[in-house]
Amino acid sequence: MNIRCAKPEDLMNMQHCNLLCLPENYQMKYYFYHGLSWPQLSYVAEDEKGNIVGYVLAKMEEDQEDLKHGHITSLAVKRSHRRLGLAQKLMDQASEAMVECFDAKYVSLHVRKSNRAALNLYKNSLKFETVEIEPKYYADGEDAYSMRRDLTEFAKKIKGKPEDKDKSEEKEKKHKNEE
Amino acid sequence: MPSSNPLPPKENALFKRILKCYEHKLYKNGLKFAKQILTNPKFSEHGETLAMKGLTLNCLGRKEEAYEYVRRGLRNDLKSHVCWHVYGLLQRSDKKYDEAIKCYRNALKWEKDNLQILRDLSLLQIQMRDLEGYRDTRYQLLMLRPTQRVSWIGYAMSFHLLEDYKNALSILATFLDQPQQPSNFDYEHSELLLYQNMVIQESGDLKGALKHLETAQDQIVDKLTLKENLGELNLKLKQFDKAAEYYEQLIQRNPENTMYYKKLIEAKQLQTSEEIVEFYLQYSEKFPRANPPRRLPLNYATGDKFRNLVDKYMRRALTKGVPPLFVDLRGLYGDKNKVEVIEELQLKYVDALKKWSKFSESEVNNGPKEPVSALLWVYYYLAQHYDYLKQTEKALSYIDAAIEHTPTLIELFIAKGRIYKHAGDPMEACSWLDEAQALDTADRYVNSKCAKYMLRADRVRDAEASCAKFTRDGVPAMENLNEMQCMWFQTECALAFQRLGKYGEALKKCHEVDRHFSEIIEDQFDFHTYCTRKMTLRSYVGLLRLEDVLRGHPFYFKAARCAIEVYLKLFDDPLKDESAEQELNTG
Repeated sequence: MNIRCAKPEDLMNMQHCNLLCLPENYQMKYYFYHGLSWPQLSYVAEDEKGNIVGYVLAKMEEDQEDLKHGHITSLAVKRSHRRLGLAQKLMDQASEAMVECFDAKYVSLHVRKSNRAALNLYKNSLKFETVEIEPKYYADGEDAYSMRRDLTEFAKKIKGKPEDKDKSEEKEKKHKNEE
Repeated sequence: MPSSNPLPPKENALFKRILKCYEHKLYKNGLKFAKQILTNPKFSEHGETLAMKGLTLNCLGRKEEAYEYVRRGLRNDLKSHVCWHVYGLLQRSDKKYDEAIKCYRNALKWEKDNLQILRDLSLLQIQMRDLEGYRDTRYQLLMLRPTQRVSWIGYAMSFHLLEDYKNALSILATFLDQPQQPSNFDYEHSELLLYQNMVIQESGDLKGALKHLETAQDQIVDKLTLKENLGELNLKLKQFDKAAEYYEQLIQRNPENTMYYKKLIEAKQLQTSEEIVEFYLQYSEKFPRANPPRRLPLNYATGDKFRNLVDKYMRRALTKGVPPLFVDLRGLYGDKNKVEVIEELQLKYVDALKKWSKFSESEVNNGPKEPVSALLWVYYYLAQHYDYLKQTEKALSYIDAAIEHTPTLIELFIAKGRIYKHAGDPMEACSWLDEAQALDTADRYVNSKCAKYMLRADRVRDAEASCAKFTRDGVPAMENLNEMQCMWFQTECALAFQRLGKYGEALKKCHEVDRHFSEIIEDQFDFHTYCTRKMTLRSYVGLLRLEDVLRGHPFYFKAARCAIEVYLKLFDDPLKDESAEQELNTG
């Protein structure tokens, strides 16, 4: 599996993946809106043949007086590709881009109260915290947990290195010393 | 140029209110004001008022009357730019773009510097890909509004799309030399620079592009795109050390991207499979959680090295319980030898797990036992393995063993259904998917798969009823799936109807798919202005290029082929009896 930033030509296949996996669906125009407003924020997981097996569709919330933050519009991984850790990897890439390109302080999302697998991923693997319960958030009347993940860790990681050379910086230094 | 039939001040004030109402979508009020003018016998044939009345009626859904009024208005005042503009807008809303362009051009004959008309014209031109016309209109807009950022961007892009890179770049450079406004400066400026770089690259000047990026890099906030481009350019210019440095950084950032490894191998100029395998093994130590450095060497390794690596790889997944192991390894099945090795290993696992709860006898005395689920995953793997090799009997015996081991695992029922599908028994296949679906009714993926198998078994009604569990209440499922552009369903549905000889229904579904594609092409409209304001120009160009080949998408191909087959069938063998004809007509 390959994880990379989504391109305009991926958006239709993301819609297809969404329609297979999730009850909340959107018309193509909404995917275009995401891809053309914040091209850095959406990611896809693809198999060797280039089929999309998972995606995260993300945006920035910009109009509010609130702190600048990202929002996960939709995240899905095909059931046939579960337990590969794809969702977490997709989310981490999207979150890093939110901080880097748009200076996001946190990322938010909604999840169905009954979706225990997703809840577990957000809470335990990705360190999201529940902010509130939004009653009847979904069209079928189900409540949603409104969740947030603080992104200051990402910000430190990015800003900690002036020309962002990460850990490889140390190794580079070593190399130079050896030379 | 004023109208050939100007209104006196009172009526003119009313006319302006009609325009205001149109802008603010207060159509009923607009009609009232129009009536006030037109009931005065002196102005009952006033062209611009009639035209505006028509345009307003159109917004209320009264299309036929709209055309009548607009045309009458225009006939009464052929030299009015308003009448021509309105006629253009009406045709535009009716998707008659070529006609609309002609109207705008006529309007501009009488009012050549009208910004609104020029903007509307430019939108249609880019939508219709009249690139030369677009360039000319953007030039006029730039001359009229030289201080606006979008004027420059639009004009530069028109040259880019015409592949006139020299002019595109010189306009961008001139614009960037002007002092910039600081609003939301960082991101938008960064996007503009990356767009400029895209144009330089497409012009073929790779050295120039590299230099441009290196100078601009501090101003670019999108570091991922920056590094991907720096890596790619250095690679193409054969500056391998530098390229390698960027790909190292990119892997650090996203170790799940397979392309970065392949590019790094290119940069390191590794040639032999041994070198490549060695390279990946190094990275699997550096990034123990990453998949590509463990999975990709399996593509290159051969002989004992392959056996060793794939053994380790499979064991890890089987112990952990990773259901997609087979879909992950399927890419190796083009190589007969590898298939043999995998099969041999998996069969050995079965024996050893049964006897010692270990993957091999040699380990009996060291380390903890494997979890009981390991055997299940081996059965599951072998079932898919033999299914792929078209050995249906063996596949079925392993899937049954798995189901006996763990009778409630949904994946197993899906796999069993797939085996029957591949063996050419869609009915039996469908019944197993039904079973799977019943085990978890809240999972839409299983529901979708089940519906697909139902359609393959020509059970359209059942499929629809099944899908209805996940569509909006109060709307028929078919309608909601159409609204949501659910094309996999619609194409499968069309094919089922075709097999059932319900040609009208089949064609109906094909045309629904075709309409989605028209709609998606329509969707571009709003982005022409939106993206030039947002500065997301690279993605915008990506969108234009996507839309140019949109109907190459497999969904369209499937629907089109089905429609063509049905039409040919009906041509060669027309329907005879009346009831059949009626059935067709309802489609």
